[in-house]
Amino acid sequence: MPALSSTMTEGKIVEWLKKPGDKVGRGESVLVVESDKADMDVESFNEGYLAAVLMPAGSTAPVGETIGLIVETEAEIAEAQAKGGGAGGASPAPSSEAPSSPPAAAAPAPAPAVAAPVVAPPAPVPAAAPAPVVSDGRLVASPRAKKLASQMGVNLASVRGSGPNGRIQAEDVERAAGRPVSVPRVGEGTSAAIVAGAGAPAVPTAQAGNSFGAPGETVAFNTLQAAVNRNMEASLAVPCFRVGYTITTDKLDVFYKQVKPKGVTMTALLAKAVAVTLARHPQVNAATTAAGMAYPADVNVAVAVAMEDGGLITPVLRQADRTDLYEMSRQWADLVKRSRSKQLQPEEYSTGTFTLSNLGMFGVDRFDAILPPGTGAILAVAASRPTVVAGKDGSISVKRQMQVNLTADHRVIYGADGAAFLKDLAELIETRPDSLAI
Amino acid sequence: MPIDICTLETPNQGAQRPSAFLFEPQQLVPFSVAWSWQQHWQERLLAFSTRSVQNDHEVVQPPEAVWLLQHPSCYTLGRGASDQHLLFDPAEPPAPLHRIDRGGEVTHHMPGQLVAYPVLDLHRHQCDLHWYLRQLEQVVIDVLVQLDLEGERIEGMTGVWLDGRKLAAIGVGCRRWITQHGLALNVSGNLSGFDAVVPCGLKGKAVGRLSEWIPGLRVEDVQPLLRDALGQRFGLRWQGPGAAFSHLMIADEPRG
Repeated sequence: MPALSSTMTEGKIVEWLKKPGDKVGRGESVLVVESDKADMDVESFNEGYLAAVLMPAGSTAPVGETIGLIVETEAEIAEAQAKGGGAGGASPAPSSEAPSSPPAAAAPAPAPAVAAPVVAPPAPVPAAAPAPVVSDGRLVASPRAKKLASQMGVNLASVRGSGPNGRIQAEDVERAAGRPVSVPRVGEGTSAAIVAGAGAPAVPTAQAGNSFGAPGETVAFNTLQAAVNRNMEASLAVPCFRVGYTITTDKLDVFYKQVKPKGVTMTALLAKAVAVTLARHPQVNAATTAAGMAYPADVNVAVAVAMEDGGLITPVLRQADRTDLYEMSRQWADLVKRSRSKQLQPEEYSTGTFTLSNLGMFGVDRFDAILPPGTGAILAVAASRPTVVAGKDGSISVKRQMQVNLTADHRVIYGADGAAFLKDLAELIETRPDSLAI
Repeated sequence: MPIDICTLETPNQGAQRPSAFLFEPQQLVPFSVAWSWQQHWQERLLAFSTRSVQNDHEVVQPPEAVWLLQHPSCYTLGRGASDQHLLFDPAEPPAPLHRIDRGGEVTHHMPGQLVAYPVLDLHRHQCDLHWYLRQLEQVVIDVLVQLDLEGERIEGMTGVWLDGRKLAAIGVGCRRWITQHGLALNVSGNLSGFDAVVPCGLKGKAVGRLSEWIPGLRVEDVQPLLRDALGQRFGLRWQGPGAAFSHLMIADEPRG
């Protein structure tokens, strides 16, 4: 069931426009969903066949629920029907062949919906790992989840928990409430970011670097790579500029050593520092839209993660300015794990308001990033290295320094905005990194 | 010394409101005719949206459009609407009955009721159906403010209410975030046609019209207010239809 509104919790299936077994073209309407006094034709993102209808016309389903199965080939219809029947529409199996609800990048194929084109309303893919909502008849939910549920008017009994033993987490409540719908987007193009905190990067043995084909071959782009290509090409229409800053990280490094045993990663630290600074610089969090400059309600920091089989994805740390550093580190570990197994929900990689790309772990001393469409800025973070520094008083010392480079859409963010943001970010990292844990 | 450029100003191209066509036919328009106009326009926007490139502002988007008009007496049912709310035989309705592609239950249109049909691409506004419904309600509330009346919303019952009576009904149909249908505001006119149905499926809720609060009020008085409120709420700059669209200005008249 697609989310057609940020306040939509459930929708009524008015009519199935296709019957099981029917061929479904890309962009073709599959069903009509009603919420409140509005109807929407829901369309398939991919070509395929409607294998099964799990929720009949006239029924009501919570946002995110699997309501039908679309498969790529005729041969898979029977298989999907068997699975769909078994799951009874209530708890879809978390296999890689797991069906997705029609508007959510139908087809069992690769990657979580990044290939989806702009047109149809993206919808959350059903929660990947269904776990019991209730244990011993008691609802288990985090305090933040309970608070959010009461604020958003979500009934916790209807929420599927993704935490340990089915514990309901804040993000489960947000998912149940239906996050604002947005177009999936992907970060910057080269390679990227995440090894942070996971120990030393593996030492390559035979072949250095990643390659998708053998010498002499031409290999087609996979879905995720093609999606990245589209986004990167779209970014050519954005008038970007770049502005850099050198940040001394001695205090940050000391603080990182203190909190690392508690599971905090450098990525989480940097994301937190960026988010706290963005909260004070809303202009750098804004983006160009047809209607003008859009200021998002939240500071959501997306961080680029390279995928082993090509392409990259940008999992989002939502409300990173307001999320506790330790909680954020846990969220991040979970997001990375699930992005590698391609189990991210669209809103978990498409709701970033600002992007962070960190190549520091590879020893890169500087680089610049390409702006993901739909956002105003991306920050490229390079490695921190011991540097000989001349002080204002003429003294000479060795300090650890890293270069950061902001790429920004000049229609929204001007040079002075970017500079002021970087100055504040540097001031935070250089003088009071310990405040990030508060 | 760095130069302070904080006071530097450049003209903001994006500040100009997008233009939209406004159609205000002078005669009563049969429902099916107005519906086909909207579908026609929706198709235009759809054809564009499928080939448009995200973030490509160089491409000239086809304008959105809004119709303000009145219908002869008729009934319409949403796609998911229940026949139970019809208090007559659907085979022999007292006035033309249309089952149409919008949300919501049955409603009644008649002369003296002003309808607004915005065909908007919500990608240019906000891709959120509930937001859109609330904006339509707000447009009516804005109109009432101009008339010194305080319209209200009732949670769970989309529409605009005044003293417990429903003044405006709302129903929307969307394809790829492009809207059609919209709102119907009872200004004057004969409400007895509502007796043949359970409007919006709400039992025991009365329907009202503005002339009960402001005797003598006519559609012509309210139409400019609604036009302005729509323009304000959705940030639209009205563009008169050119000769190319003159066929959309008036209902199909018998030739001769």
